[in-house]
Amino acid sequence: MGEGTWLTEATDASLPSVLRARPDLSGRYETLVGGVWRAGVDPHVLELCRIRMAQQLGDVAGAALRSPEAAGLDEALVVGLDRWWSHPGFDELARATLSVAEQFALDVHGVSDEQFAAVSQRLGAAGAVAFSFALALFDGQSRLRLAFATSERTVSS
Amino acid sequence: MSTELRVTPAASGPSAFGNALAHQPALAGAFFDLYGTFWSHGRLDHVSKETARLRNARITDCGY
Repeated sequence: MGEGTWLTEATDASLPSVLRARPDLSGRYETLVGGVWRAGVDPHVLELCRIRMAQQLGDVAGAALRSPEAAGLDEALVVGLDRWWSHPGFDELARATLSVAEQFALDVHGVSDEQFAAVSQRLGAAGAVAFSFALALFDGQSRLRLAFATSERTVSS
Repeated sequence: MSTELRVTPAASGPSAFGNALAHQPALAGAFFDLYGTFWSHGRLDHVSKETARLRNARITDCGY
């Protein structure tokens, strides 16, 4: 995978810049991203899942990013993401969501009823829908970064 | 993968996906606005978009 994007219409190598090559889509995309962060699930929980999925997918830039919506995230938890199941800093909600997030990134067919139930019992139906949607978005963002070969260092939305 | 619905439908429309998303109306609205724009505008022809969608569905084993 090369460094920097090969999309010449972008003003810089960030994913938002690349997407702005299609203004009619990028504005709606940013609205959707903002909606995910405001849908009622703890942003720190979402951010940990986003970073973990980026790690698994080999999205180095995505794993290094920090979403402004999740400001204040304990970086010690990020360091502990590769052993979240035994790290004492992760509570039951974080463990339930990370379990689904990891499986979602690796093979979504492998997400079990038990794994999903552990999330929905803690978040409720609306929260589980928002969480699932966030995972799909994070998965897509990482894959887009890899496909576009972007190398951003900040997340604007 | 389970064949049972994991989220109680929040609507009674023809799409199970849409009925689940109805738990989050604002999110659903933003998604369908983006998705609709993707399908109704742009430089890529519809045959290419649909071919890519179908191929992606096969690879991910999505029956829908």
